[in-house]
Amino acid sequence: MLTKTFTQDLEYLRKKFQAPVFEKGSGLDYETLKKRVLDSISDMEGLPHPVIKAKAFELIARNVQIEVSSHDWFPSFGCWNRKDRPMAGLLRKFSEKTAALLTKNGLWENLNTSGSSAIWVDFDHSVPDWDMILKFGFPGLRENARSWRCRHEAGGAMTPEQAAYFDGIDITYAAILELLDRFHAYALQHSAGKPRLIAVAAALKALHDGPPQTFYQVLLTIYLFFMFSEHIDYLQVRSLGNLDNLLLPWFEQELEKQSASEAEMRERLDYFLMQWGAIDNYWGHPFYLGGTDEQGCSRINRLSFIILEEFEKLQITSPKIQLKIARNTPDEFLDAALKMIRRSNSSLVFVGEESIARAMTSLGMTEADARTCDIRGCYEFAARGRHNENDTGCAYLNMLKPLELVFNNGIDPKTKLHIGPKTGLPEELQSFDDFYRAYILQLSHIIEADISVCNEFECFLNQLNPANVFSAAVQNSLLTAKDAFHDGCFYNNTTLLNAGFASTVDALCAVREMVYLKKEVTLAGFKEILDANWSNHEKFRLKILKDCPHYGNGNPVADHYAGMLGRFLSTKINGRPNSRGGLWKASIHSARQFIELGKKTGATPDGRFAGEEMSKNSSPVMGMDRSGVTALIRSAAVLDAGDFPADLPLDVMLHPTAVEGEEGLTAWRRLIREYLLKGLAIHFNVFTAETLREAQKNPDKYAGLQIRVCGWNVHFVKMAPEEQEMYIRRAENLAP
Amino acid sequence: MHKARYFDLKRFAIHDGPGIRTTLFLKGCPLSCIWCHNPEGISAAPELAFYPMRCALCGDCEQMCSCHQITDAAHVFHRETCLACGRCEEVCLHGALELFGKFLDSGQAAALLLEDRRFYRDGGGITLSGGEPLMQSEFCAELLALLKEEGIHCAVDTCGEVPWKAFERVLPFTDLFLYDFKVADSALHKTFTGCGNKRILANLARLDQTGIPFEIRMPMIPAHNMDIEELEKAAVILSGLRHLTAVRLLPYHAQAHSKYQAIGRTDTLPQVPSPNADALENVAELLRRRKLRVINPLTNGQ
Repeated sequence: MLTKTFTQDLEYLRKKFQAPVFEKGSGLDYETLKKRVLDSISDMEGLPHPVIKAKAFELIARNVQIEVSSHDWFPSFGCWNRKDRPMAGLLRKFSEKTAALLTKNGLWENLNTSGSSAIWVDFDHSVPDWDMILKFGFPGLRENARSWRCRHEAGGAMTPEQAAYFDGIDITYAAILELLDRFHAYALQHSAGKPRLIAVAAALKALHDGPPQTFYQVLLTIYLFFMFSEHIDYLQVRSLGNLDNLLLPWFEQELEKQSASEAEMRERLDYFLMQWGAIDNYWGHPFYLGGTDEQGCSRINRLSFIILEEFEKLQITSPKIQLKIARNTPDEFLDAALKMIRRSNSSLVFVGEESIARAMTSLGMTEADARTCDIRGCYEFAARGRHNENDTGCAYLNMLKPLELVFNNGIDPKTKLHIGPKTGLPEELQSFDDFYRAYILQLSHIIEADISVCNEFECFLNQLNPANVFSAAVQNSLLTAKDAFHDGCFYNNTTLLNAGFASTVDALCAVREMVYLKKEVTLAGFKEILDANWSNHEKFRLKILKDCPHYGNGNPVADHYAGMLGRFLSTKINGRPNSRGGLWKASIHSARQFIELGKKTGATPDGRFAGEEMSKNSSPVMGMDRSGVTALIRSAAVLDAGDFPADLPLDVMLHPTAVEGEEGLTAWRRLIREYLLKGLAIHFNVFTAETLREAQKNPDKYAGLQIRVCGWNVHFVKMAPEEQEMYIRRAENLAP
Repeated sequence: MHKARYFDLKRFAIHDGPGIRTTLFLKGCPLSCIWCHNPEGISAAPELAFYPMRCALCGDCEQMCSCHQITDAAHVFHRETCLACGRCEEVCLHGALELFGKFLDSGQAAALLLEDRRFYRDGGGITLSGGEPLMQSEFCAELLALLKEEGIHCAVDTCGEVPWKAFERVLPFTDLFLYDFKVADSALHKTFTGCGNKRILANLARLDQTGIPFEIRMPMIPAHNMDIEELEKAAVILSGLRHLTAVRLLPYHAQAHSKYQAIGRTDTLPQVPSPNADALENVAELLRRRKLRVINPLTNGQ
């Protein structure tokens, strides 16, 4: 049960970010604030970008509307809307300036327009060193940066760029302290003897003066750092850390000193978690629970269970929880999580610590990096601490597009753009080997194009968005006096995400089977059918769905090509140098791009209609895994975490009867542990088609029912009817 | 190699013995329980299932066999002339036709069952079920021997209404029996299943003599076999068995109507609701008073 106070405050919390109301006089109205930021740019012409941005940060921190409400434990300010952040205008200017220096804008545009790829500058996946933040607190981070500046200056080799880097941090953190002061003063002015506001004011004062000292102050620090970086500094903190272990010392200390009860800390956690529930970004904000320590002992602790329990009570889709599973993760903890999923909460992802280690060490990172890494996205992870990693995911590759290019000799049929090399007319591809080779040439060409475009613009990350808030929270950045978002982290990597993997495997199998083995159609004939979007060829399409091999069923042919494609992607992408002194990493994770790139892709040989979504992550085409979950996992096992160091997630849908009872839990645990021998991340939807239909008809009764979409959850009743239908169709394939 | 007719292969089976299992369902059963939820397993002969809702009236099956006629936008299936050859199933692209009772030999079956062997660690394995698998006991023995050579845990799910000889064939290769116990009174047993239970109880007693562990599985059908007096009789019989590992209660669900319709078999499913957890727990308590270990799936591990 949630506390009465929290329940009473829920209405405020839900509106806090969606419809905030600020007291007049607490700051400038939002439009004026944005205009002020833009106007200030002209005064700063010629200054280095970190300084310009820091001064803009300062202007925002001094003038943004604020509120500290008696309905909340966490303050609020008027620039939460990430679609309309006050820094956006400034970053646009930086971008325009940089664009003039780029030579590959045309290629970039062609790749995006044709749907060959979706490429953008990634400002959304930073992971600070939470231990460092909690150790220093906001004033300490500024002092720490100052002391590093002194060391660099004493070394005698301070460049203007380095000076600008430290100036940017100093101005920004001074502004943060000013904003904390503003929050504190507001809370005191509005406290009117209310104990909560007095307590909030005291905590804000404490954070202004030093590092956090209590469980609540730690939560407040995490929240504020996130807000300052994401909503003012325009760089999303994509991880709340490994919360159970991050918070544990404070939790235990408070209990020991009896300075806060477990019930009080549970309630603070509820308010803390609800902040992200209320922001309601569809992709969710993740954190880890679990893992192992240096001695290899499980790090599951009392707080791991408490966080799970409180999270479930809230029935929210964000934040989202990743459970780091090791061999010695207690069954009791796994069962608690699995029972939660059985109760229709699918916000949990199981990630394998050993798989993460295989993935990270494949690119030269250490086993310690793997053990202490943080989640940095839907499934992705990044080294933390001394070996901090900044990994940008800036390119999604459409794996079906090269197939279209093979059929059309390098030209995208919809836009008529010449995207790929000439690999021959359909009638010239005499064997499946010819066809497969042509596919690999087209795929290879897009990979090269993506890498060349990204390498060019990533040279300018520190100019495009100097990360003043983030850099102060990364030791290696201070040590090298380099922007942490650019090349200041110990590892500065870039990920190429591949979307539509299973759709591609199925399409290749269909071509092999129908054109070259059974000879039911010529390749040229197949092209005509695809051009017509299967019109008048529905039987042929159904035959492909029924008779051709499909990935996800333990079919040896489909799995063979899945393995071949996986190895190709891995060999081609992993370890390539990026332009920031780091490496490229391969991923089979599609995020929303399985939908977006699907819209730009014509009909494909796997039976997919033009514009339809593609398969997501390393999962089979929706509805084509017809042989049960064990067959699905056998198929998925052809891909190894070591080949996909960025991430390799699998989505599984189960019928509730498959995991009911004690036997169900035991079998489910076995299934997860078996998958994690090879794979990286697995998550589950456990529903019957009947339940989903019932929810469709009676949304009020099923308001809490969550569906795992890709790397995030949504409430089923809020999905579009056509999206709901897709899940219902897949559930119908599940045998009770 | 011996061949057998089967009607299903279920992976990730978690209720057919310990751990993760693959269950092969063999066709043909000496009983005809009115509550049977696998009616396609009763007849030993192959049967064609027809699902009109899935039919797109494309006429491909009509081209293949005269059993099928598309008239006035309706699919008429002449079951009486159907030989269940399965050719129509092959051409049906909509999943409206399905053949139950295909053949496979013991080598093919072993290969299928071994596909998931990586999941059998931690006590899992394979289960032969049906129908009544021991109606094809020579096939079962040959198949189980192959699987035992591979070190696979093997279970046989039986109704017990077969000659003891059939049991003898599989005993050397079976790690666990799942033994159905539907009702203690033989006359009532005949009413519900078409057959008395004399041989079933005799085989159960002989099985107990072999020392091979077995789990009793009791379907629970309200207003049919949940009468206290009947259950007391069952408890007396079961409490005398030495190698009984547990009694598992199986709550009845009337969810097989469409299967009866699809294979053209008269639907005999009792029109009673599923028993709830409390009702099942009452039965469990009654049995536990006889020192029996009872598994109530509606309260177990929730």
